Amino acid sequence: MEESFLLNNKISSMLSMVSLLLGSIPVGFLGALTGLGGASILIPILVSMGIPVKEAIACGMASIIATSSGSAVSYVRERIANVRVAMFLEMFTTVGAIVGATITTMISPLFLYFFFAAFLASSFLKSRGTVSQSATSSEWPDGVSRWLNLQGSYFDEAHGKRIDYKVSHPLLGGGGMLLAGLAAGMLGIGAGAFKVTVQENILKLPPKVSSTTSNFIIGMTALAGTSVYLYSGFLNLTLMGPMAVGTTIGAFLGGRVLNKLGNRTLRVLFSLIVIFLIVQMIYKGVRSL
Amino acid sequence: MISSDRNLSESKLSLAISYLLTAGVVTSLILMAVGILLFYFQFGNLAISEKKVMFLQEKNFFYFLYDLLKGGNSQEKSLWIMTLGITVLILTPFARVILSVVYFFLEKDFKFSLITLWVLLILTLSLATH
Repeated sequence: MEESFLLNNKISSMLSMVSLLLGSIPVGFLGALTGLGGASILIPILVSMGIPVKEAIACGMASIIATSSGSAVSYVRERIANVRVAMFLEMFTTVGAIVGATITTMISPLFLYFFFAAFLASSFLKSRGTVSQSATSSEWPDGVSRWLNLQGSYFDEAHGKRIDYKVSHPLLGGGGMLLAGLAAGMLGIGAGAFKVTVQENILKLPPKVSSTTSNFIIGMTALAGTSVYLYSGFLNLTLMGPMAVGTTIGAFLGGRVLNKLGNRTLRVLFSLIVIFLIVQMIYKGVRSL
Repeated sequence: MISSDRNLSESKLSLAISYLLTAGVVTSLILMAVGILLFYFQFGNLAISEKKVMFLQEKNFFYFLYDLLKGGNSQEKSLWIMTLGITVLILTPFARVILSVVYFFLEKDFKFSLITLWVLLILTLSLATH
């Protein structure tokens, strides 16, 4: 809290609730297109405009509840997202998020700049959507998975057929989700790319199921993180309101055009944005050393 | 055909969740937008403020909720409405867990009743006792 008051006069005069709301729309749009999520992009920008990093993280976390829940709606209704698998994984992500957010409230802001930059860098490691879609097998890959009946099927419009799948290594995947939740809670972001990596490589979910299920889980994870920030007093009404409204509108629009853009365009866009954000955070971190 | 029964009833859950999420998110965003508008009429500006009254802080969310619905300690209408918007946002995934617990319990799916109950417990503890 003291930090907020000290930095009071450092907030850029360009930043107001109107500019934040309007600016959050393209950010939410890009966040949805690149899979980074609005908060990952907005937090470094806010920090560079003088908003204390913990405040930006707390408000990012709260606004994610809206973006994630809003965009999950159609995937849940069309039953592409697997609600059962999501609820299993939420057991792990919520605990991770509470621990992560608690760490953030206690450590020096200096660490957060570098953690944020490092986590953004790790999104380059994301698996290149391995096409090796394992053929429908009737064998259960795992005892826990069978016991909980973790399987599903969805209709893939691109392939024009129903795709069945079974979840493998749910407990190992749960461990990965604990880490994803930890990073999400600490940095106030959805950590969607990380979740998708775990779900595709360990749980062997088909890519579409993976990205939509991850989106669904992020809302619950963000709530867990937000509960900690509510207690710690980092939630600023004048920041959170415009951020939530703007990024959600942007994400909604982004979801509409997602399928119309080429993969190559997206990859270039993604790389440019991530590099820019990493540089931004490191610069801020080094300057405050 | 147990599996197709399950499929049918699970599509009910999916549908109920999607209505709940839509209602929660839309209500909360409208409240926040109205709050911002009222803020402008009340204060004559829309600056990002670092004043203490702009920060939410509460030890116990449920007590905070009760206080808020009573009219709250916030004197300013615009801040009250923005706070209400955020509260609705927080309650949306929370209500989703409660809905799931009830659903799995009624379906006599006790494994998933326990799984969702665990998530509910974690969230309730974190909101109430932090």
